[in-house]
Amino acid sequence: MIPCAVVGVGQTHHKTRRHDVSFGGLVREAVFRALEDAHMTMRDIDAVVLGKAPDLFEGVMKPELYLSDALGAVGKPMFRVHTAGSVGGTTAIVAASHIQAGKHKRVLAVAFEKQSEGNAQFALGSGKGASLGAGGAFAPFIRAYIHRSGAPEHIGWKVAVKDRQNALKNPYAHLKLKDISIEKVKASPMMWDPIRFLESCPSSDGACAVVLTDEEGGKAAAADGRKPAWILGTSSRSEPPSFPGRDPVRPAACLQCADDVYKQAGITNPRKQLSMAELYVPFSWHEAIWLEAHRIAEPGEGWKMIDRGETEIGGAFPINCSGGVLSSNPIGASGLLRFAEAANQVRGVCGETQVDGAKTALGMAYGANSQYFSMWVVGNSLRPFG
Amino acid sequence: MTRFVENTITFPYRRSLGPLLTTFMTALTEKRILGSRTGDRVLVPPMEWDPQTGADIGLDLIEVGPVGTVESWTWVPSPSAQHPLQKPFAFAFIRLDGATTPLLHAVDAGSPDRIAKGARVAPRWKAKRAGRIDDIACFVLGTEPEVDGPDGPPAADLVTMMDYLATTTYRNPVPVAADRAIAATREGRLLAQKCPQCDSTYAGGRGYCVLCAVPLGIEHEVDLPTVGTVTNFVVITPVQYPGQTETEPFVRMFVLVDGTHVIYGYQAAVDLPWDQVRVGLRVRAVFAPASADLEEVGAMGGNLGNLLGWTATGEPDVDDPDLVNRIF
Amino acid sequence: MATPSKDIAIVGWAQTPMVRRTEQTETQMLMQVITDLLKPLGLTRADIDFTCLGSCDYITGQAFSFVSNLDAIGAWPPKRDSHVEMDGAWALYEAWLRLQEGDIEIAVVTGSGRSSTGDPALIYPMEMDPFFLAPLGADPLTFAALQARAVIEAGIADERRMAEVSVRSRGRTGPKADIDALLKTDYVREPLRRHDLPPITDGAVAMLLATGDRARKLVKRPAYITGFDHRTECHNPSFRRLDDSPSTRIAAQAAGLHDGPPVEIAELQAAFSHEELLLRHVLELGPDVRVNPSGGALKSNPIMATGLSRIGHAANHVFSGGRRALAHSTSGPCLQQNLICIVEGRS
Repeated sequence: MIPCAVVGVGQTHHKTRRHDVSFGGLVREAVFRALEDAHMTMRDIDAVVLGKAPDLFEGVMKPELYLSDALGAVGKPMFRVHTAGSVGGTTAIVAASHIQAGKHKRVLAVAFEKQSEGNAQFALGSGKGASLGAGGAFAPFIRAYIHRSGAPEHIGWKVAVKDRQNALKNPYAHLKLKDISIEKVKASPMMWDPIRFLESCPSSDGACAVVLTDEEGGKAAAADGRKPAWILGTSSRSEPPSFPGRDPVRPAACLQCADDVYKQAGITNPRKQLSMAELYVPFSWHEAIWLEAHRIAEPGEGWKMIDRGETEIGGAFPINCSGGVLSSNPIGASGLLRFAEAANQVRGVCGETQVDGAKTALGMAYGANSQYFSMWVVGNSLRPFG
Repeated sequence: MTRFVENTITFPYRRSLGPLLTTFMTALTEKRILGSRTGDRVLVPPMEWDPQTGADIGLDLIEVGPVGTVESWTWVPSPSAQHPLQKPFAFAFIRLDGATTPLLHAVDAGSPDRIAKGARVAPRWKAKRAGRIDDIACFVLGTEPEVDGPDGPPAADLVTMMDYLATTTYRNPVPVAADRAIAATREGRLLAQKCPQCDSTYAGGRGYCVLCAVPLGIEHEVDLPTVGTVTNFVVITPVQYPGQTETEPFVRMFVLVDGTHVIYGYQAAVDLPWDQVRVGLRVRAVFAPASADLEEVGAMGGNLGNLLGWTATGEPDVDDPDLVNRIF
Repeated sequence: MATPSKDIAIVGWAQTPMVRRTEQTETQMLMQVITDLLKPLGLTRADIDFTCLGSCDYITGQAFSFVSNLDAIGAWPPKRDSHVEMDGAWALYEAWLRLQEGDIEIAVVTGSGRSSTGDPALIYPMEMDPFFLAPLGADPLTFAALQARAVIEAGIADERRMAEVSVRSRGRTGPKADIDALLKTDYVREPLRRHDLPPITDGAVAMLLATGDRARKLVKRPAYITGFDHRTECHNPSFRRLDDSPSTRIAAQAAGLHDGPPVEIAELQAAFSHEELLLRHVLELGPDVRVNPSGGALKSNPIMATGLSRIGHAANHVFSGGRRALAHSTSGPCLQQNLICIVEGRS
């Protein structure tokens, strides 16, 4: 396979309502930041891959058509993926595939959501009443996790606080809850029992863009003093929505996806060999759930890592230093943000949220009824383990 | 004979315009049309970015028209509900005086033999303008702009947002198996289908086995007990949105039907307060009378035919630590 | 831009009956068509290494409508899988890139849509520029008519040749093939008449792609993909020359259309009759190239699968001994985005 590197990352400032820009303007904000970071212009890009969650969110059907010129894709391939909540991750993977297949050298991956244009609850219920929302769909999974792991309820609160404190160090993050505390989370309204309001992700307008290149492009960036992130593995897995006995807390698709991406990256002990992970955690309990379903912790042990503070910045295994989905959630872009933040960690450009000496990082996104999984492992060199 | 259900959705959107479109749309309320100048071109409709290169164009807007020339056109003999005119009209590419590119809009020409390439047209403004492209009701033949009533004022403030509504009716088939499961609920029965290959049983008439990817038919139908145990649940505090029907917290339960591995997911509670729902609670199905006229709702959280939900049986709870894991 | 070197071939494909209105859900159509694809090849769903589905939420009227389609692909145990909100032809493109990576051998791609579900005249304006075009209800028929006029003015088409395209595509004979009579019928959108328009079709297509060695084990004569590319143009037709299709030209060049022997047939996703004449012109197809022997999109037009079925019919030409064939797919107003796939047989 042809090596592939991340040489540019850009994102918007994420907010509940980005009423200051049109939705094309929003996407372009992220694109120009990524191009600037990559020392490139639109002209240098060979192909564009666009990801976003349902078109019903903004009411523009197949928006890759409307955005073709906004993304500088005229005369180029313009590709659109949609794999539910995992789509941002899939966007990066498909963009990488354009290079790994030997088809193109410089590919722009873009993902966005302008949730304020429409109403996600409405769209999720396709316009009908009593929409459960994502929280309603995931709450039972969380109840199952709590029961089977015996985790105390403060674990959810702790993650909610940690991610919001991380967000205070991330200039692009949406939620800036300066006075966030365990007490505040505990006192916040119960939205989807057992999920409290402050244990839930916000609804954001935002976009993210990533510039990917082949080995030559990665080496050229490095020679210029701009560290690339090297892609050590990419993987995706899906499983059907419902069938008797399906386990959404430890989904087979997640385990297989993680096993596959670790194998490609030469990882046999993720807890030791990964420096950090950006996991898709829309509700605080998913940090514990995913620590276990990515084999970073043994079953029933994930919450203990959280309880010991290991997943904080400066901890033994930092998770979501960016503040994660709990702090910024432009749905379609949320997955690409995980992948991009993981890349920025191994590039060493994360500023206040930087994990010291990060060599390898996992970016992950999931979607629908915990069915779609996409992951990549990135490293600060093509062979970080020698 | 497969039954079809119709579902009309009105999609409500509220778009932010950003600086360039704000200027353009606000000018429309003043009966002025702006184009964006880039190099020696004047783009109408105005663009934030160059349509060929994607480069930023900037906010260099100049007034064009309002009179223009038809560059091309087609006749719409039977307009759709979304069209600007509800009588036969022309859709035309109109190059406004001073513009380099044509704008698509409607021309109220009366009949197709009255419009031609090269025809001069002028806007017919709506009297009440909101800052939208359809503030121009249409164009009319000639060089005199019109207003379609007593002229209203321009926008008091900058127009920064635009509403967009689109209504579409969808017509979808109800799979035969699902229809039979729905019909069974009118008789107070819960009908499922059992896969002959793997014994997996599916409630609600999905019509196929997910694990074996084989269709299931009438011959695979089985009746299920109408009593079961709550394995898991969620209490939802409703968020308001267009179309929301709930205002108070409501519960959705997962029910494992006795003697099977079948889960009924996201089930409503009937005569069962949300704060009394718990894992292990014994429940029985509640059906509406056969004569009830029930609206069909979607898959998650909706009722299956006359199955309204489940209520407590009063039996002692089931104590099984694995129950909670049975969500599917 | 380079051409990936790995041998990848279409091994087989299947389609549902193409009907005005099916009684099956999209998932049921896909379940059937994937089974129909695999059976003659002696394969099961377990043999599939990667799936990529192409479909559209707005056609279905439901957010995440593709999720239940996972039921059809046999994603248990879980599968490497992706979904594009594009015609299945682009799903094939993603699978073709994925197989180039060399670690897996078999991919199944699908395109599916129930066009009968809603009124295209009300759904498709939502695909247009949300500020200037969607609020006017600007529909595909209008844009097709405006493009047809441009193509006619450029001398690339005329109403008679358009009618001939339609008659040929639909295999009309007798009174229904009377061009003069057709030209006397009313315009639906001048210069387009009823016969210039595609039908509304429900249907699904599934296709199996395999790496070279595996393909040769499965069938005697695989259809090798020797060129594959797609390009887009700016969205708003106001800013385009409508008597040309530069994205088609670039894609064809990048796919190597003119680098090998001439293609024998071309399957073009020309939903409107003038589009065939324009594409033929832009692709510089000679008079001996048979265009749309399948009948093309004028005969059946299953949205989100129309493009993939073009590639299927091109592959059929190779399966039955043909040397080289071209397939084309498109999306957006006035042929905004175009895809070219070249398939070849080997002796």
